Amino acid sequence: MTAPAVSTVSAAGSAARPALRLIRLHLASRRVTAALATIAACALALRIALHWSWDTYGALQLPLIFESGCAAAVGITMGSPFGEPERATGRWLPLLRLGSGIAMTATVVVALAVASIGAHLAGGIADVARNVVGLVGIGLLCATLLGGALAWTGPVVYMLVGAYGLYTDWHPPALTSPWIFPARPQHDLGGALCAAAVFAAGIATATWRGARETP
Amino acid sequence: MTAYSGQIAGRAGGRRHAWWRRIGAAGRLFRIELRRSAMLWMMPVAGALFWYNAFRESMAEPAMWNLRAMTMHHGVLLDFAPPVVGAAAWMGSREGRRHLTDLIGTVPRPRWTAQLVTWAAVTAWALVAYCCCVGVVYGLTARQASWGGPLWWPAVVGAAGIPALSAVGFAAGAWFPSRFTVPIATVGAFFALGFSAQPRAPQWQVSPTAAGSPYIGPDAGIGTFYHYLPDLSIAQVICMAGVTAAAIGAVGLLDRASGPWLRTLAYGMTAAGLAAVFVAAGLAGTARLDPHGMLAIPALHDAASDEPIKYTPVCDHAAVPICLNPAYAAYLPNVREAITPVLTELAGLPGLPKSVGQDPPAYGGPLNSSFVAGGAGVVVSEASPGGSQQFNLVLPDQLPAEPGGADITVRQFVGQIRLSVAADLINKVVGSAPGGESRAQHAVVTALTFDAGVTRVPRADAAVSAAASRFAALPAAVRHAWLAAHLTALRAGRITLAQLP
Repeated sequence: MTAPAVSTVSAAGSAARPALRLIRLHLASRRVTAALATIAACALALRIALHWSWDTYGALQLPLIFESGCAAAVGITMGSPFGEPERATGRWLPLLRLGSGIAMTATVVVALAVASIGAHLAGGIADVARNVVGLVGIGLLCATLLGGALAWTGPVVYMLVGAYGLYTDWHPPALTSPWIFPARPQHDLGGALCAAAVFAAGIATATWRGARETP
Repeated sequence: MTAYSGQIAGRAGGRRHAWWRRIGAAGRLFRIELRRSAMLWMMPVAGALFWYNAFRESMAEPAMWNLRAMTMHHGVLLDFAPPVVGAAAWMGSREGRRHLTDLIGTVPRPRWTAQLVTWAAVTAWALVAYCCCVGVVYGLTARQASWGGPLWWPAVVGAAGIPALSAVGFAAGAWFPSRFTVPIATVGAFFALGFSAQPRAPQWQVSPTAAGSPYIGPDAGIGTFYHYLPDLSIAQVICMAGVTAAAIGAVGLLDRASGPWLRTLAYGMTAAGLAAVFVAAGLAGTARLDPHGMLAIPALHDAASDEPIKYTPVCDHAAVPICLNPAYAAYLPNVREAITPVLTELAGLPGLPKSVGQDPPAYGGPLNSSFVAGGAGVVVSEASPGGSQQFNLVLPDQLPAEPGGADITVRQFVGQIRLSVAADLINKVVGSAPGGESRAQHAVVTALTFDAGVTRVPRADAAVSAAASRFAALPAAVRHAWLAAHLTALRAGRITLAQLP
C-alpha cells in the first residue's frame, strides 16, 4: 500500500466516524438498548409460549400479543429527551428518525421470526411481518400525536381489536374489514395494503414531525 | 371530673381529632389523585373496547340473563386489562419517571400511603367505568328478557378483577419505573388473562375470565332451571383478592424508609395474598361438573343451591298446550311450529300427550367434556296419577341467533326439535311389540315420521321402505282412520307388513 492510498482510507474513515457517532448518540438518546431488550423479551416469551398447546384462535392471537409489545417499544423510541435544541441544530434528525424507525421494525420482524424457528407459528412469518409493520405504524402515529411516552397506547388498544377480529373468524359474525388486518388471511392483499398504508403514514409523520413533546 | 381524668379525656379527644385530620388529609389527597389519574383518560378507551368486544358479543346472545351475563363475564376483563393495567403502571411509575422518589421520600408520611391513594384513584375510576358498562348490559337485558333476574356473581368477579389488574399494573410501574414497563405490563397481563382462558388444567379455572366449564361455555340451560352456582365465582373472587393483596404488599416493600411495622405489614400482605391465590387455585382444582352444567366445588358448595328454580310456565292455548320455562317464551312459536305436524298426525290416537312441557338438559361426563347428556329430545313423564300424560321435551342447547360456532337458524332449530320429538312421540304412540319392534311398526313409524316433515327418517330395508312409502302416500284422513282402527293390533305386533294399506 502506498502513502496516498493510506491517506485516502484514513480520510474516508475519519469522515464516517462522526456520522457513526451521531447515529450511536441518536440511538442511545432514544433508549434503543432498552427497546431492544424489550423486543428480545417478547421474542423469548413467544418462543416459550409456542411450546404450550393453544386452540385455533388462541394460536393466532398469541403472536399478535407479542407483536404489539414490540411495536409499542418501537413507538416509545421516537420520544426525544432534548426537544427544541435538538430540533434547532439537528440537520440530520429526520433521516435519523426514518432510519431508526425502519431498522427497529426490521429488527422486530427478524427477532420474532427467529423465535419461531422450529415451532409452529400460526399464520407464518408473512403474517408476523404484516402485523408488525401495521402495529409499528400505529405506534409511530401515536408517538406523533401523544408523545413517545404514550406511544404504547395505540398498539396495545389495537392488539385487542385484532385479537377480537381473529376470535370472530371462529365465532361469527366475522369482522372482515381490511383495516383489522390481523384478522385477515395470510396472503390477503387488502390487509397488507392497509398495514403498509398505516406504516407509511406513521413513518412519514414521525420522520417529519418526530414525537410530540410532553411535559 | 378530676384534673387527671380531664387530661385523659382531652388526650383521647385529641387522638380522635388527629384521626379525623388524617382521614380528611387522605380524602383531600384522594380527590387530587382522582383529578390527576391517567385512568380518567383511559375510561373512554375502556368503554370503547368493552363496546367493541364484550358488549356486542353479549347483546348478540338471545335475551336471557344467563347467556348475556356469562358471555360478558368471559370478555369484560380482557377488555379492561389494557387500559387499566396501562394506566395503573403509568401512575405507579410516575415518581420514578419524574425522578421524584428522593423528594417524596423526605415527607413525614410513609410513601406507601401516598401510593395506595394513587392506586385507589385509578381503581375507583376503573370501577366506575366497569359499573357503567355492566349497568348498560344488565339494563338492556332487563328490558328485553322475558323472565328472570340479573346474575350478580359474574359481575362481582369482574369487579374483583379490576382492583387486581390495577394493583398488578401499579406494582409493575412502581418497581420498574421505565416507560417500557407500561407496554410490557399491559401485554403481559393480557397474555396471562388470555392464556388462562384457554382450556387447561382444572386449577386454571380460577382465572376470572372462566364463566364455567370452558368445554361448555355459556349455555341457555345453565342457571335457568337450577340456581347459578356461585362456587367457582367465590374461588375466583378469593384469587383476585389475593392478587390485589400481594401486588399492593409488593408496592409496600419498596418503601425502605418506612418503619418495621409497615414493612412487616407489607410482607404479611404479600404472603397472605400469594397464599390466597394458591388456595383459590386448589379449590378450583377440586371442581366437578354438576348435572346442571355448572362447576361445583365441594368445599364451597351450598346444597340449597341445588334446588330447582320455581317458575310459572308460559303456555299457549292449543288443544295440546305447549308450556315452556318463561325464559324460553320467545321460542314458543318455534316449538309449536316444530311439533304441530306430529301432533296433527297423531291427533285422537291413544297415547297422545295431553300437554307438552319442558325439562332441563342434563350435563354429564368428565370435567373436560362438553357432553350434554339430555340433548334435544323428549322425556315422557306422567304428570298426574289420573293418566293425563305430559311429554317434557329438552330444547336444543344452541338457540337461533346465538353467535356460537353452530350459529343455527330458526329453520334448523325447528328441524332439530321436530326430528327428536317426532321420533320419540311416534315411537311412543305406535309402541313396540312384546318381542321388539315389528316390521309393520317400523314401516308405520317411518311413514309417519316422513309425513310429519322430518327429513331424516329411520333406516329400513327394501320391503319395509316400500310398505312405508305406500302407507305415507295414503290420504291423511284414510291413514288416520286406519291407525285409529288398528292401533291396538299394531302395538301388540299382530299386524304384518302385507296387511298395511
